[in-house]
Order: sequence, then C-alpha cells, then structure tokens
Amino acid sequence: MGIVTVLWEKWVEFRRDFYKITVAAMISPLMYLIIFGMGIQTTSHGEPYLHFLIPGVVAMATMTGSFSAIAQNMSVQRLYEKALDQVMVSPTPLWQFILGQVIGGSLRGLYAGGIILLLTLPIRTDLTFNALSVFIMFLNGTVFATIALVLSFLAKSYTDAPRFTSYIIMPMSFLCNTFFSTEQMPNGFRQVISLLPLSQSCDMIRSIANGGEPGIFGFLVLAAYLLVFGLLSFWFIYKKKNL
Amino acid sequence: MIEINNLTKKFDDFTAVDHLNLKISTGEFFGLLGPNGAGKTTTISMMSSVLLPTEGEILIDGKKLDRKASAEKRKLSVITQEYSMRQDMTMDEVMEYQGRLYYLPRKVIRERSAELLEFAGLLEYRRRTVRHLSGGMKRKLMICRALLIEPEILLLDEPTAGMDALSRRQMWNLLRKLNGSSMTIILTTHYIEEAQALCDRVALINRGKLQKLDTPQALIRELGEFAVDETNEDTLSTHYFHNREEAIEYLKSAGPQAALRAATLEDVFVDCAGRKITQG
Repeated sequence: MGIVTVLWEKWVEFRRDFYKITVAAMISPLMYLIIFGMGIQTTSHGEPYLHFLIPGVVAMATMTGSFSAIAQNMSVQRLYEKALDQVMVSPTPLWQFILGQVIGGSLRGLYAGGIILLLTLPIRTDLTFNALSVFIMFLNGTVFATIALVLSFLAKSYTDAPRFTSYIIMPMSFLCNTFFSTEQMPNGFRQVISLLPLSQSCDMIRSIANGGEPGIFGFLVLAAYLLVFGLLSFWFIYKKKNL
Repeated sequence: MIEINNLTKKFDDFTAVDHLNLKISTGEFFGLLGPNGAGKTTTISMMSSVLLPTEGEILIDGKKLDRKASAEKRKLSVITQEYSMRQDMTMDEVMEYQGRLYYLPRKVIRERSAELLEFAGLLEYRRRTVRHLSGGMKRKLMICRALLIEPEILLLDEPTAGMDALSRRQMWNLLRKLNGSSMTIILTTHYIEEAQALCDRVALINRGKLQKLDTPQALIRELGEFAVDETNEDTLSTHYFHNREEAIEYLKSAGPQAALRAATLEDVFVDCAGRKITQG
C-alpha cells in the first residue's frame, strides 16, 4: 500500500514535468549517438560502431534516468522542503517507502532507456532487444535508484546532488563499457571497472543485442549492489538519528 | 497517555534535550515553553520520530514510539515550525498524499479535504501549487493536512507563527474545539498568552532541562499574582507579591514610574528564563 502511495507521488511528479523529464532523458544520449555513432563513423570488432554504442547508451540512459529521479528529488525533500518529515511521521512502513522510491526511480530509468530504443528504431542495426533486456534495464535502474537514495541520505546540502552526479555518474558513463570495451583498459584498472554495475549492464544488454545470452555473473554483480545499497538505505531511514 | 522518560538528545557535544521527564494525559492541552534554543522543537521532533533520542524513550499508551511503530504513529499528527511540504504539489495533491500515507480511502480523502480547505478559506486555491501560496496560506494548509487524518494526538510546533491576530484567534478557537473532542494537544509557542489561554498545563524548559511544570494559574501563584513594574532610567524591573496589600505597600514606596498589574504566565517565563540567563 505504501509502495503504491510513493508510486502515485512519482506519477504526479512525472505527469507534471513530463516534457522536462522527456527532453532531459533524450538530449545527452542523442548527442552521443549522433556524434560518436553517426558523425564519427567508425567500426568496432568489424561491425559499425553504432552497433556497439546503442546498447551502451541504452544502459547509460537507464542509469542516469533512475539516479537523477531520486538523488535530486530526495535531497531537496529531505534538506530543503522537509517533506520527508511527512513520511517519517506517518504510519506508512518506511521499508515500503524505500521500495516505492526504488521502483519509481527504476521506472523512470526504464522510461529514459525506452526513449533511446524508440529513437534508434529507424536505424537498421539488426540489434535484438527483448524482455530480458527490459528486465536488465529495470534491474540497472533499481541499483542506481538505491545508490541515489543512500547518497541523498548522506547529503549535507541539496547542492550535493549535482556533485554526486559529477563524481559517480559522469565517470561511469564514460568508463563502464559504454563507448568502448573495458578489454582495452590496462590490467588492474580493467578488473575494477568491470565490477561496476554499469559495466555489467552494458555487457549484458549488448550480449542480448548481438544475439547472445548474458552470463549469470552480471546478474550477481547487480544483485550484490542492490543488496548492499538497499540495506544501507534501510539502515539510514530506520536508524540514522538525525535524518 | 504520553510518557517521556529520561529523554535526551545530543548533537555532537551540544545537549539539546537533557533527561526530560513528562507525563501527558489523554485529552490534555499541554504547552511546552522556553526561550529560543531551549529544546522545544527537538522534543517535538523526537515525539514524531523524525529525530531519534540519544537516550530515553517516548511511550504512547504504554508502547514505545520509534520509526517502526506504525500503530502509534497512526495516532499522531504534526504541524511543524517549517513548511514541511512538497513545494511543487497542489493543495489537493498535498492532502491526497497525506491521506494515502495514512491509508484513508480516496472518497474520504476527497470529502474531508474539501471540508477542511473550505473551513480554512483555501478551497478556491486548491489547484494552486504550494510554492505559489503566501506564508499564512501554507500554515493553514499544514493545519488542514494535519487534521485530515483525525489524529488522537496533535503536535503543534509554533503553529501560529507568522499569522495575523485574527487568524491566530480563529486558530485558538479551532484548537479549543479539537481539544474539547478529547484530542490530546501538545503545543510549543513563543506567544506566552497563547499558552496561558489554551493550555491545561505547561512545562517551562531551558537549555533542554525541565524548569517548571504545572497549570498556568499555579505557576503564576507560585511567582506571585501581583506584579509591580518599576522603571528606573533605562531599565524595567518587576517585583512580584503574593497579596495585593504587600504590592500596594511597595507601590507607595516606589517612584512615580511604578505600576501595579496582575502577573501573567509571561512573567513566570521571563523570571525563569531570565534567571537562567543571569546565572549563565
């Protein structure tokens, strides 16, 4: 019930800011596709670079969509509007509030990724996107929504949210298997980068897109992030003395 | 019944609330008074589980209040000092969100919201977003939101701050009416006459510690019901007396700038807070 309430709140927000949310979700990925995929026409592993790029940009869009839906919003609600107090006081179980935020954030990520899929439809690529791809996009969104929740509970001022984007989302966008394969990275660094959630999501969506099957390892990595950050967010909301 | 046992809140080295003990009966109108920084808002925040105590506990009808205590939280509603609302929601959405958080059916939310917004004179602005409301309208909306769920316990942290005199009197009447229907009300206020007019009992706190606890009348009696204000050059000093004769006697011996009047709760407050400040 509490989950539905949070999803209703997210829906109210989405309905009101529909154009802003949609345009924001489109601009960066579209630029990357135009510049790197269509402007600088190269090949990767003997295939047009666009075939490599599209799955990465889709995964990246789900990451930024879900992260920004939660990080900015929760920081403002907690620190500036104090609207989180309304939830803390209410009888709605706080675990349901967290779960609602994660699902809501992930749906926003899915929406952002879906827009990119729609925009790339006219390009003939023979890439495959199926229900499993959608599930991975959703899972990727839940991971980044949960990370965003933890960071927004840690934020000391509502201007911290854009900083978190610069420190976490921006480096991951460029390094995590999105624009180039992590195989080309130096030893040591490569292993670290490949353990980041976006690297795994890109890898799994790309495998499906190229007609393959994603390995179980990627799911385990995403599940581990979800578990750790999920538990942290529960700890913050139930136990942090001065939230 | 609300029991506050040994309640303490520390922020690093600063103790905002220091081993506070209170018992508030069901249906009581209770005032929490104190100077700025006395720990009133921190106490209210712990009573609403927004802040967790460093030590001690709060019991509602014998059950400990914490962030998991849904049944106890169901009884509570809070009007905070700050406008704790989504600024981008309309009044209708704010009310619906509140109703949903308390599991009210949508039909009930719609009906009660319309009644409360009508009562507060806000109905015609119901589709306006919070950010476009005046301070007074936001305050009224917070009251409507708190009352939507028909709470058993209402926590009010400076509810009339920023209200004009007429709105404040309307608010007093509303609070009296609510208290008359056996709602327990806990009020913090800077307007001492508000506490004197409304509260069955008041607790005076300073630097997080309980200084005095009694009915307003008993606190005034303890200080002295007769006050003589004496102006000497730039300073005003007040002397308190337990009977009129003593006060008149003193008045005769004082200069022409002295005046006799009935002592108020504000005198108790100033005496208590002032003495503490002097003591450092």
